[in-house]
Amino acid sequence: MNMITARNLQKQFKTPVVREGRFSGVRTLFSRQYVTKEAVRDISFDVRQGEFVGYIGPNGAGKSTTIKMLTGILHPTAGEVMLGGMNPHEERRKTVRKLGVVFGQRSQLWWDLPVKDSYDILAEMYGVSSDVKKKRLSQFAELLDLESFWATPVRKLSLGQRMRADLAASMLHDPELLFLDEPTIGLDVNAKRNIRRFLRTLNEECGKTILLTTHDMDDIEQLCNRVMVINHGQLTYDGTIASLRDTIGLPTLIRVAFRGRVKLPDALPSAIQVTRMDNQVLTALVNRKEWRTMDILKELEQWGEIDDIEMKEPDFEDVIHKVY
Amino acid sequence: MKPISWFHLYKILIRTSIRSRMQYKFNFVLGAILAALIQISEFLMVALVLHKFGAIKGWSLHEIGYLFAIMTLSKTLYRTFGNEVHHLEKYLVGGELDQLLTRPMPVLLALMPQNFRIMIGEVLQGGFILCWSLAGMMHSGQIGWTVVPFSLFVIVTGAIILFSIGLATATLGFWTTRIEELQVITEDAARTAAQYPLTLYPKWMSSLLLTAIPVGFVNYIPSLYLLRGEGGAWVLAVIAAVAVICLAASLRFWTFGMTKYQSTGS
Repeated sequence: MNMITARNLQKQFKTPVVREGRFSGVRTLFSRQYVTKEAVRDISFDVRQGEFVGYIGPNGAGKSTTIKMLTGILHPTAGEVMLGGMNPHEERRKTVRKLGVVFGQRSQLWWDLPVKDSYDILAEMYGVSSDVKKKRLSQFAELLDLESFWATPVRKLSLGQRMRADLAASMLHDPELLFLDEPTIGLDVNAKRNIRRFLRTLNEECGKTILLTTHDMDDIEQLCNRVMVINHGQLTYDGTIASLRDTIGLPTLIRVAFRGRVKLPDALPSAIQVTRMDNQVLTALVNRKEWRTMDILKELEQWGEIDDIEMKEPDFEDVIHKVY
Repeated sequence: MKPISWFHLYKILIRTSIRSRMQYKFNFVLGAILAALIQISEFLMVALVLHKFGAIKGWSLHEIGYLFAIMTLSKTLYRTFGNEVHHLEKYLVGGELDQLLTRPMPVLLALMPQNFRIMIGEVLQGGFILCWSLAGMMHSGQIGWTVVPFSLFVIVTGAIILFSIGLATATLGFWTTRIEELQVITEDAARTAAQYPLTLYPKWMSSLLLTAIPVGFVNYIPSLYLLRGEGGAWVLAVIAAVAVICLAASLRFWTFGMTKYQSTGS
């Protein structure tokens, strides 16, 4: 079943040229000069139930704009969104009832009140009975370790605590679909790990569908089974992480220490590119798409007696860098 | 969801808002005192003007006091419940409307209870002038007791009209983002002008204040009937109709404007 269907989504921002000087607001209102920015050009995709999708792209690529269109905050200039069979722009209230939304950059909690008060208000808003609320919160409290700051006003929480509190808030009404916009931004390793564990539980054990944007490639590698890359408002890749690596075809770095004499063949196979050879250590880049690892090993054995081999897969960061 | 549960939710959000404000008690108390001081000085200004000029263009001191009081109380009622509509710019510039849009309730209902405050200074000031004007006119036999309940009715319709003007102005912010200067014209200037009888102004201006920015229906038109007996009871029906039409039109405009919301960069 499709949880998200996006068809030919487009968003143009048309901003009037701001006038200078007195009454600039009124004059801008009647200004006929506009600057049009195409934030999202033409994006279509489907997300099935239970998928964990990473949505990545450089700053300003249109990630947040897409998420805001999906969640009904922004109306697309053209195109259509369906979430679980409902259109968030025509039936916003009904649709958002089934969504959890977390923006890493801002909180949906009540800034001046203790954390637990926000949950009480949200429970009322979503019509969650107090028994169910208690049950869910005790689950989240365990998974996210909320209890230590239960009674602290939100404004006094650390970033990591606030993020955990926000995640719990977004799941209080038990939505099937979760949108996370940079949930790990600015967090330390520990907090990130905590949040990833929670998200993995939601996805694997509770079967929630999750779409997340991030700049942290570890988030993607550890959590997502599918990646979508957006750049300049268009999807440039949509598939698994493994095939993303393949598509890019970044070479694997291989370092071989030989024992005894080494003799390189006169004509090197095209898949192996030797970058360095000093003493008896050879460094080379191999294209794994052309040659299987066994073939490479066989070839290397011809060159001399192998003492040790070390292989390094391309960094995911590098892969992404190449996609952008 | 049923209207009754919307009301329940609205109450909870107002309570939340008050509790949030009480976190900063010093600011809360100081704010209340300052607001009262501002109101007193404004009242002294008006009293001075009235004392100096007395009747203006055939309008007595009490009648002008009545115009002023109705406007003050209508505005107070509007701002008590719809203050954040007036401050929508903050939400547009900061993108804070995002959060409200992800909540399963009408955006206005989520917006209005934010920063709820009881404007005690304005209520006292407006109430005092209203009582003084009414007492004066009753004493001279110009009006009877029936004006009292009608005045309350007019305060409510006036608040609805002011709210509609405020909402329509705020909605323009979906296109322009900044709306403060526009608000100075459509809200502050128009309201201040209507604190005095509209006959004071040139024809084009008084008709402007009865059509494009219909603040005249808040206090001037009601006063013509209630205090001076011009027209009949149908005037009240017209005023109620104007309030309902303004509200419906501004709500429609608001709903349309929200589809133009641009949010901010993340």
